[in-house]
Amino acid sequence: MHVPNIISQVAQVLVTLLLAPLLHGFIHRGEERVQRATGPSLVQPYRDLWKLFHKELVLPETASVIFLAAPVLAFAAVCIVPMLIPVLTDFPLPQSDMGDILGGGMILSIASFFILLAGLDSGSAYGGMGASRAVMLGILAEPTLILVLVGIALLAHTMLPFPVNHLLASDWAVFWSPAHVFIVCAFFVLLLVETDRLPIHSSTQIEVYMIEEARVLEYSGPLLAIVRHASMMKQFILYTIFADVLTLPWGLSHVGSLVGEFGALLAIVVKFSVIALAVIVVETAQSRLRFFRYQEPLAASFLLALLGILAQQFG
Amino acid sequence: MMSFTPLAASLFSLLTIVSLILVFVMLGSRWLNNYLIAFTAQCWVVAALSAAVGYYGDYPELYLVALFTVLFRGLLLPYLVFRIIRRMGVDRELHEIIRPSSALVAGAFLVILALVVARRIGLSIGNPDDVIVLALTVTVSIKLIGFLMLAVRHEAISQILGLLVLENGIFLGSQLLVPGMPLLLELVILFDLLVAVACFGVLVNYLITHAGSTSSLQLRGLRG
Repeated sequence: MHVPNIISQVAQVLVTLLLAPLLHGFIHRGEERVQRATGPSLVQPYRDLWKLFHKELVLPETASVIFLAAPVLAFAAVCIVPMLIPVLTDFPLPQSDMGDILGGGMILSIASFFILLAGLDSGSAYGGMGASRAVMLGILAEPTLILVLVGIALLAHTMLPFPVNHLLASDWAVFWSPAHVFIVCAFFVLLLVETDRLPIHSSTQIEVYMIEEARVLEYSGPLLAIVRHASMMKQFILYTIFADVLTLPWGLSHVGSLVGEFGALLAIVVKFSVIALAVIVVETAQSRLRFFRYQEPLAASFLLALLGILAQQFG
Repeated sequence: MMSFTPLAASLFSLLTIVSLILVFVMLGSRWLNNYLIAFTAQCWVVAALSAAVGYYGDYPELYLVALFTVLFRGLLLPYLVFRIIRRMGVDRELHEIIRPSSALVAGAFLVILALVVARRIGLSIGNPDDVIVLALTVTVSIKLIGFLMLAVRHEAISQILGLLVLENGIFLGSQLLVPGMPLLLELVILFDLLVAVACFGVLVNYLITHAGSTSSLQLRGLRG
């Protein structure tokens, strides 16, 4: 039985919306388990969101309209991106031609840009600190991102995620080519940067080393829930791009049947568990560094992306 | 100029790329022991490359070269350098002139420069295999990065390793570009290296006794 394309597209967004907290919960629990603690339940993020949605909204006196609008805009932005990328199906669905990978990256940047503005808006010291740190990391991550995208474009001669997926899923020679391996490594570092899991980030909430949390410290109640959910969805989207486009391009629905899409859902669970375990191992094995060594992983990923492009010149 | 089968070509490119990455490991780390481990690994990779070239290109004397490379560069030199490190009591580069992260980015640009140069050389010698251009690129970039390490690091040990890396780069390139080099030359190069390390050992002793430090920056104070 074929699912109409429109329904599949809606399902892609819904899957992102509903499974993002589960991924977050899995990573948190995994980290605690690796450190031999019990850890929170897998569904804890859902409970947190539920609790926050039922709390009172408290606004800082200094907040302007940006502070109110930013979470909603960020949330809307991360709801658009799943339409552009292969979450369930490996063929383009309606409206997926709105943008390529670069377009998706731009929409994600809009989301973080508004959260950044909100962090600065209330005028609190922590918001400013978090925003400045996030911008610093963003500036250094951007060249790598562009180089990774250039590398993908050279590899597949397109920036649309679907042909890249087809190429990598069908051709082992391309999959194991040094260019692709370097690009995957470079993107993995980017994934750590963007999901707040570099060894310079702090995974606990209130601490001097916080980056992501410092920006949203002033939020409370439903707005905080929206901000949290948006950042979890951003993490889910980045995992999707990393898994479905770059690293594990298999296990997507080819024709859009109901069974195929359920299979794709199961495959997502498996693939994301694998990537999340890799992230957990890296984050636990690497000792925490002081913040001012942030350039090192980013310089290394820049280098890897550059080598990836270079290796293509000999392809 | 020989041509390789696709399997041999991909094996050679893999080994050359691995040795390039190991140079970047050296460039990006601050700990002297890490340099040494990366250098040792690189020597083993170069030895594997010699053996592979010997196997696929039918040069039996390259097996001997590979054996000597493992014995001298892969075991003896690291042991000697390790002894110097232990005697010095310095386990990391203390005052970098440029930070490892900046050095990594500088190294990346040197690789691009090397690629451009290798392209030019490749064009001037006709239309060689991609592997040859890759080997030229990696040779030139390892040389440039070796110079970079010599320039921006001033622990005596980093300088020895910079020099050895530079030499490794040339050796790696020569394996692929002129595989039939006489065995005697290879032996001479190996003994040269031993002499270089011995000289550096003397230099380090001199630095410790006369300057009280192992940083070569102190040598400036001894002028006149």
